[in-house]
Amino acid sequence: MRAPAISIKGRAFGDRVLLALVILLSLVMIAPVLWVIGLSLKENAELMANPNSVFQAPYTLKNYINTIGTSSVFVWVFNSIIVSGGLTLGTLILSSLAGYGFARLNFPGRNILFVIVLFGLAVPEQAVLVARHQIFSMLNFHNTYHGLILPGLSASFGVFLMTQYFKAIPKELDEAAMLDNASRFRTFWKVLLPLTVPAQATLGIFTFLGAWNDYLWPLISATKKDMYTLTVGMASTQTNFAQSEGIGFLMAQAVFAGAPILIVYLFFQKYIVTAVSGAAVR
Amino acid sequence: MTADIEIRNVSKHFGAMTVLDDLSLSIKAREFIVFLGPSGCGKSTLLRMIAGLETVDTGEIAINNERIDHLPPGKRGIAMVFQSYALYPHMSVRDNMAFGLENIGMPRDVIEARIKESARILEMEHLLERKPGQLSGGQRQRVAIGRAIVKEPKAFLFDEPLSNLDAALRTRTRIELAQLHQRLQSTMIFVTHDQVEAMTLADRIVVMNNRKIEQIGSPMEIYDRPATKFVAGFVGAPAMNFVEATLDRSSRNARARFADGISVQTEIASDQTIDGKYTFGIRSEDVRIVPAGQGNADGVIDVLERLGERTLVYARLGDGQQIVGSDVGNSRVAVGDKVGLAFDGRKSHLFGETGRAWHAREV
Repeated sequence: MRAPAISIKGRAFGDRVLLALVILLSLVMIAPVLWVIGLSLKENAELMANPNSVFQAPYTLKNYINTIGTSSVFVWVFNSIIVSGGLTLGTLILSSLAGYGFARLNFPGRNILFVIVLFGLAVPEQAVLVARHQIFSMLNFHNTYHGLILPGLSASFGVFLMTQYFKAIPKELDEAAMLDNASRFRTFWKVLLPLTVPAQATLGIFTFLGAWNDYLWPLISATKKDMYTLTVGMASTQTNFAQSEGIGFLMAQAVFAGAPILIVYLFFQKYIVTAVSGAAVR
Repeated sequence: MTADIEIRNVSKHFGAMTVLDDLSLSIKAREFIVFLGPSGCGKSTLLRMIAGLETVDTGEIAINNERIDHLPPGKRGIAMVFQSYALYPHMSVRDNMAFGLENIGMPRDVIEARIKESARILEMEHLLERKPGQLSGGQRQRVAIGRAIVKEPKAFLFDEPLSNLDAALRTRTRIELAQLHQRLQSTMIFVTHDQVEAMTLADRIVVMNNRKIEQIGSPMEIYDRPATKFVAGFVGAPAMNFVEATLDRSSRNARARFADGISVQTEIASDQTIDGKYTFGIRSEDVRIVPAGQGNADGVIDVLERLGERTLVYARLGDGQQIVGSDVGNSRVAVGDKVGLAFDGRKSHLFGETGRAWHAREV
C-alpha cells in the first residue's frame, strides 16, 4: 500500500513542477502583449523621454482616439477580414467537395490526381511567386480582393485532410441514404458534411490564421494603400522615426489589429485545442 | 404492403472472383426468409443486390413481377436494416426516421403520424428526441428497425442485425422480430450465419455455401432432411456426427459398415443408393447412451457437456473417431467411463462422395 502513496506524492510534485513551467511559459508569451497594451496607453512624448514610464501612471486613451481618427488600420482590418474570411470559406467549400470526390467517387485518374494534390504540399510558395505575379498582372488581378484570395484556394492540405476525414466515415451511411431516396448531393449535404464539422473547424481555423498572418503575397499583390491587408499596412507605418516618435500610436494600431484574431480564438478555443493536438483527425 | 420477390439466374463477380453463380430463388409475399451460410458464401452480396447496393452482372430480380434490378435503391420500395445500424449520428431519432420520407416529399403531418405509429409499435416514443450516440446498442437496433418501418416498404432486408448485441438482448430482439413479422405481415429477408436465428425466425431457410444455394426449405426440413453433407454439418449444434462407411445393399434397407466392424441398420432404401464411398451421418440426439456392450458400438467418454435438459456425451470409439451422443439431463456417466452408443437407424443419413444426401423413408 505504501508504494502507490509514494507514487501519488511523486506525481503531485511532478504536476506542480509542470504547472510552474506552464505559468512561466505563459508569462513569456503574454509579456509582449502586455507590453504592447502598456505602450499604447502612454503619451508618445513621455515614452520618448523615458521608455520605462510604461510602468508608471498617467495612462491615456489618446493614441486610440488618434488611431480611430487618422489611421487606415480599420481599412486594413476590413481588408484582412474579407481576404481571410473569403479564403477560409472558399477553402472549406472546395476542400470538402474535393475531399468527398476523392473519398467517395470512382473516376478515371483519381489516384494520380490525388498524388498531384499531395505534391502541392511539397511546393513552397516562393517557387511559384514570380510566375503567379506575372499571370495575375496579365489578368489585372493585382490590387483586388480576388487577387489576394485566389492563390490560397489551391489548398493541398485542406483537400488531403478532408479526403481522409470522408474516408473515415462508414460507407453504410451513404448506403442508408441511398435507400432513403437521397440524391448524391443531398447525401453529401445532409448526411456526410455535418459529420465533418470537427475537420472543417480545424481546417477553417488554420486557414483563417494563415491568411490573417500572411505577409508575402499581399506585399506583392496589394500595392495600393487602400488594398493593404493588416500585415502589409502595419509594416508600412514603420517609418524611420515611428519607432521613436510614435511608438504609442503604433501600438494602439497593433491592439486594434490583434482584436479580431483574439475574438476568433475566444470563440473557437475548443476547436483550436483539438486542431493543434490533432485529435480531430480520427 | 408486401411483395413476391423473384431472383432469376443471378450471377455476381468481383474482378476475376465469382461471388454468386447462376442463382435462382422465389420468395413469396409475407414470407420470412433467412439466408444462412458461412462467411464469404455470398449471402450478404445477394441481399445487397436485392437492395440495389450491388449491381447484378447477369440475371434479373423482380418484385411483384416488375423488374427492379435496374432501379436505384431508393426506388425499389424496400427498406434495409444494416449490421452497424447506419443511423445518421448527427440527427435525432425522429430526424433519422423522417429523412427518407422527407426525400420523397411526403407531407409533414403524414411523416409525423408514421413516426408516431412506428415508435408506438417499437415502444420507443421516449427516445425520439435523442441522438444515436445517446442510445444503447439495443435501442439503436430498434431505431434502425423503426427507420425501416416508417417507409412502409414492400419488403424488409436485414443484414445480420443482431450480431452486435449481447446474448440476452439478441434472444429478446429475435423474439421481437418474429412478433413484428406477425404484426406487419411483410416480406422479410434476413441474413445471418447464426443457425439459431435462422431456425427460430424463418418460414424458409436458404442455406448458401460457396457461391451457390445448397438447400431451400423450412427449418425442420433443413434439420431433418439436409440436402447435402454441408447443410447437415452446418445446421445443428453440436454438428452432425460423420463416419466414413461402406454400404451393405443386400437387403431392402442399406446397412452402413464402419472401418472397425461396427455397423448400423438404416431405413434408407438400398435401391435408391448407388455404388461408391459414403459418409454415415447421425445427430447427437439420435445417439443414445446405453451400458457398454448394449449399443451399436462402445466408446470411452472424453468430455461431458451438461446443458440442463440433456447431457452431451463426447465418446471416443476404438479407432479414435469421436461420436457425440445424448443422455438425460441428470446423467450419471463420467469422463473416462466406457459406455455403449445406440444409433437410431431411422434417423440416420448417408452422404455420397459429391455430398448428396439420402434419408430414411418419410413416415
